[in-house]
Amino acid sequence: MTSISFHEKIALILSFLILNNYLFLSLSFPQLLIKINFLIFLLTVLIFYFKNFLENPFLKIFFLFIIFISLGTPVFEWDARSIWLFHAKRIFFDGSIFSVSDNYAKFSQNDLPNLIPAFSASLGFLLGYWNEVFPKLSFSLAFLPPLIFIYPFLKNTNYLIFLSIIFFIIGKYLFSGWADGLLAVYFGISAFLMYIFFIERFDFYRRKTFFYLTAICFFSSLTLIKNEGVVLLLILFVTVFLIKIYKGELKKYILNIALLLLAFLPIVMWKFFCFSKGIAYSHFINTNTLFNLLSRITDLKNYGQISYFLFLNEKFLISLVFLSVSFWLNRNMQLFRFIFIAIIMYIIVLFFVYLSTPYDFYWQLNSTAARVSKTLSFSLAFFGLYNLNNYRIR
Amino acid sequence: MTVKKTKILFFIICLLQLFYLFNFRSGFRYEIIKDPFNENSGITYAVSNEVIESKSILKRNKIVHFNLSKGLKEDTYFYQRSIEFNYPTRINQSSKFILFSINEDITSNCKIIETGRYLKLTQC
Repeated sequence: MTSISFHEKIALILSFLILNNYLFLSLSFPQLLIKINFLIFLLTVLIFYFKNFLENPFLKIFFLFIIFISLGTPVFEWDARSIWLFHAKRIFFDGSIFSVSDNYAKFSQNDLPNLIPAFSASLGFLLGYWNEVFPKLSFSLAFLPPLIFIYPFLKNTNYLIFLSIIFFIIGKYLFSGWADGLLAVYFGISAFLMYIFFIERFDFYRRKTFFYLTAICFFSSLTLIKNEGVVLLLILFVTVFLIKIYKGELKKYILNIALLLLAFLPIVMWKFFCFSKGIAYSHFINTNTLFNLLSRITDLKNYGQISYFLFLNEKFLISLVFLSVSFWLNRNMQLFRFIFIAIIMYIIVLFFVYLSTPYDFYWQLNSTAARVSKTLSFSLAFFGLYNLNNYRIR
Repeated sequence: MTVKKTKILFFIICLLQLFYLFNFRSGFRYEIIKDPFNENSGITYAVSNEVIESKSILKRNKIVHFNLSKGLKEDTYFYQRSIEFNYPTRINQSSKFILFSINEDITSNCKIIETGRYLKLTQC
């Protein structure tokens, strides 16, 4: 690839517009601007669909089906209702993402980042009233930027395999109003951006402003989807940092790394706001964290239980086998090193989180591990596919 | 030729996956897709009748702040759903308008404003 493709441009515009919507609602801009922003988003989607319908027709056809399902399903699950769409409803009625400063309805975890709820609120603004179904569509629409962005890198059959991976691993999270599917996909694509920029094609990308904008948009989005996104993005930076230190190349890349760290700015500001208003969700990190950790860390049974919930599911196991076969066929060591370090770091973080949970250990695992595991499974499968993609090109 | 066959294979796999999601994992309702933009679309599938009734009672009586009886507060499902479903009508601990379950006894200093099928609204 020598130039910026149509798909990459569309992905950047869509991603930018989602962030722009968030910015408008942060600054309490008038509803008219928010509506215009969303209409530009829709127009960009239409351009993507109709500029050349036969280019990438699979995503276009399948995504229409996803929209159809999304518009026919109610929001009845806890996270979707009590957190994400309740935040969206509050933003819709109060006209700002900062309405949570009163910490009303603490159970909805008011300190969670609100990128997607803000986008949902803009769908409500477009309708002019709140509705239980239509705003949920924003969760599906937010999948478009990463799904479109990756197309030039995985053309033809490989892109179909990629969609199949999405349907298999992300599944109902494509339309249910949960943020975990988005987190998994945005992490996968952010890891991919990190890899191609710092490991694979640095000399090609380093002078392209377009790349920095795309990376910052995707990285910021990752951090603003869920709290875990901050940890995941940090892991990606640490991975690159470690690889470059190991290779003795850190000096050459340090400025570029520093520039991309700007992506943390929106979430840092959001967390600072929450902290200053005293609405930090303090259930997790508190004085008992160390106590919980120490009381569980020595019991091997706990490691077994975490492993059981995280790894013993068909999605993770198939993804792991797929990745292993892929690297057995094409031994791309730099890609393997990158994904191995990132995934191992995330697994260590997950073990730490589960061992120190203030909630009932079993309940916490049972209620969250399957969702958390999606990020691991998707990354393994996606990088396995990308590795095969390169193998075939050769 | 192999590429074409693989493409067709994965196209069919994707279709089957989508069909599976649609049929078994989505909770899709034809009643909703018929009118997804309606203000009340999908509510009967999203929350219980008690929660829906709480909204209609509060709306009919133009209540902006409400409170729940001790019994209703202890019902975590009703407590959380009634808060988010009734927004922007807010729960307020000092509100004189209190919702009781139909089977609950109201306190002596309260008078009933409206009795529904599942709930009663009182002023205390």
